[in-house]
Amino acid sequence: MPTARTVMQWTRRGVLGALAAGGAGLVLAGPRRAHDAPSDRVVIDYWEKWTQDEGRAMQNVVDRFNASQSRIFVRYFSISDIDRKASIAIAGGSPPDIVGLWNFNVPGYATSGAIQPLGDLFDSGTLRMDDYAPAVRRLMMHRGTPYALVNTCGTVGLYYNRKLFKEAGLDPRRPPRTIAELDEYAAKLAIIEPSGRIERAGFVHTEPGWWTWFWGQYFGGDLYDQPTDRSTASSAINTLAYEWVATYPQRYGVKNLVALQAGLGNYGSGQNAFLSGRVAMVLQGPWLANVIARYAPSLDYAVAAPPVDESIYRADEPISLLDSDVLMLPSGCPHPRESMEFLAFTQRPDVVEYLSTVHCKNSPLLRASDEFLANHPNRSVSVHGELAASPRAFIFPRTPAWPMFRDEMEAGFHRIWRLEDSPASVLKKVDVRMQQALDVSRRRLERRRAATGGVS
Amino acid sequence: MSRSSAPPVVAPTGVSARRRSQGSLQVGREVGVLRGLLWASPWLVGFIAFMAVPVGMSLYYSFTDYNLVQRPVFIGLENYERMITDDLFWKAVGNTVLYAAMSIPLCTVAALVIASLLNKPIMGVSIYRAAVFLPTLVPAVASAMVWLWLYNGDLGLINRILRPMLEPLGVTPPNWIGLRGSGDKFWAMPALVFMSVWSVGQSVVIYLAAMRDVPAALYEAAALDGMGPVAKFRHVTLPAISPVILFSVITSIINSSQIFGAPYIMTQGGPDRATYVYSMYLYDAAFVYDALGMGYASAMAWVQLVVIVLLTVLTLVMSRSLVYYRAA
Repeated sequence: MPTARTVMQWTRRGVLGALAAGGAGLVLAGPRRAHDAPSDRVVIDYWEKWTQDEGRAMQNVVDRFNASQSRIFVRYFSISDIDRKASIAIAGGSPPDIVGLWNFNVPGYATSGAIQPLGDLFDSGTLRMDDYAPAVRRLMMHRGTPYALVNTCGTVGLYYNRKLFKEAGLDPRRPPRTIAELDEYAAKLAIIEPSGRIERAGFVHTEPGWWTWFWGQYFGGDLYDQPTDRSTASSAINTLAYEWVATYPQRYGVKNLVALQAGLGNYGSGQNAFLSGRVAMVLQGPWLANVIARYAPSLDYAVAAPPVDESIYRADEPISLLDSDVLMLPSGCPHPRESMEFLAFTQRPDVVEYLSTVHCKNSPLLRASDEFLANHPNRSVSVHGELAASPRAFIFPRTPAWPMFRDEMEAGFHRIWRLEDSPASVLKKVDVRMQQALDVSRRRLERRRAATGGVS
Repeated sequence: MSRSSAPPVVAPTGVSARRRSQGSLQVGREVGVLRGLLWASPWLVGFIAFMAVPVGMSLYYSFTDYNLVQRPVFIGLENYERMITDDLFWKAVGNTVLYAAMSIPLCTVAALVIASLLNKPIMGVSIYRAAVFLPTLVPAVASAMVWLWLYNGDLGLINRILRPMLEPLGVTPPNWIGLRGSGDKFWAMPALVFMSVWSVGQSVVIYLAAMRDVPAALYEAAALDGMGPVAKFRHVTLPAISPVILFSVITSIINSSQIFGAPYIMTQGGPDRATYVYSMYLYDAAFVYDALGMGYASAMAWVQLVVIVLLTVLTLVMSRSLVYYRAA
């Protein structure tokens, strides 16, 4: 009969043996590096934020590039929280070769010298600026120098529920064109219970509420004047725009609007306000078609240019936000020449259109192929293309202080939406705070230039 | 330390022998010190590389304009001066103080009550203890997601329970947290505070251990004096475990001054910055707001450290007359 000591020895040997076997198993059959690069090629590390379908599409582009030549090998890394990690990696002197960020990162990264200019790609004739939509050209540049490339983009259009239009006696072929018409349509489409509860809204500014800062643009205003580096948040036009925003909580009641929003589900779900029919018109990008196809494939919808104030309405020059992801070359990247080769590959029309199709966005290029328009998952992609091509398409204000600007406007918007303060007062406060931030940034930039002998 | 490090002692026979002996003692001590440093070196290297140097550098950065990428430029006290006139800084300070002022007493009282209940000889008490401790093992993100749904204004469990009780009285339950800034400005912070009670399990375990350590003779004497359960808790248990309560309060002050995860995940500081706390602003200054930068964030971090140290010292001084230390 084994003694307690023998049992302990056997148990100890068993545990140690199991650990050793586990370790050996991990070494022999455990996880492998996903990117075993060929030793005879220049290896490019490309950091991108995309995951899942979007990430797989970009991986396909990378694979195509790797197969198209035998000199360079690109490794695709999907990185979360990429803007923070990229800036830390650049600061630490160990940046990737290429980084995929958001277009509002361009001014901050360019000003701080975290990215390299891409002028060579255009000077050498590899890429032509004229091939891109005008607003795309603007967002690739910082103070006249190209710093970023765009391979997908999205303009914001008015998505409206055709079935609800018919039910409300509206012509689904004639969406609202002006702000006044938008208000009129919204009133007709809304279903309000006697208690004030909103069963259905025609339109609300908080759905989806991603761009609380951009309402002034539809009245002809702007938040920031780049040449003078001045905040223009409290201009008369912006104030007018946000006074219009305030008419909705005044009309429907703050409590009822908050209750409506509380009952809405997540954007990417069947309880999405537009998909579930709780809101009849929303301002959205082309990617909404993917959500519709997945959660409400039978939804009868159409897309139009966003309504604007009557005084600035022009059918041939619609006004819309153009948003995009960007590809940039970090300062100190190990292989700039090879990286530019890959960047140029991503700008080929067939590659751009493939990626834009899978990502359900419109093309950043001025001309789209018939095949792209015919096969795109968003049947109204041509509307988004026209919005992008418009000379009045607008982009995020081009200042490194933009993230602070955006958050100030967001907080201010909600004060207006809850009728806690007048639009004029809110915008004035945003103006003061933002101008302080802009002034400090400018002063620091000048001081930095002086400290580094003009190199900054 | 190894016993072999002790040098052999040689019997002194004269001055030179004494000197030799002192010399070998000196060498032995140095060897011992070196050995000690060698054994402690993994921690020492880690401490110097990942704590002492970064902390020292952050102090320097707090006097500079630093954007991570470019060389820091010395600007003296400008970052500190800017804090004084920064409305958002004071808003974040106010929110953090509000959170701490609500959370620390609530969590302390809740943990004490739960611990004293779990200290009773009731059936299945181990299961209850495990259940109370379990939430502390749930990752912060997972528990934040659960609470987001519990607080959902329309579909959340809390409002489903409250609605039948409140609506007949003409009161609508609040939209606690809300999505995309739709939450209730007044209730968002209390909602976060209430959520913090969810993770008092750790304090409960500490209190429970302290309560079990209270000598039974004290309770017997209290019973002879005719004390009931409440009087025993007030006059015996509380004084006996007061050092542990002090420890718990100090760690709560430190933790609540650094609150970040829950508001960052659940409210992003909204609605209308009602839950925008100090650490969120510090993070935004460092990584989001280029107009502020790492220099401003470092200055904020140092102010936070100094305030926490001052609060800790203040608590220790104030507690002198309240905390009872038993003789060993």
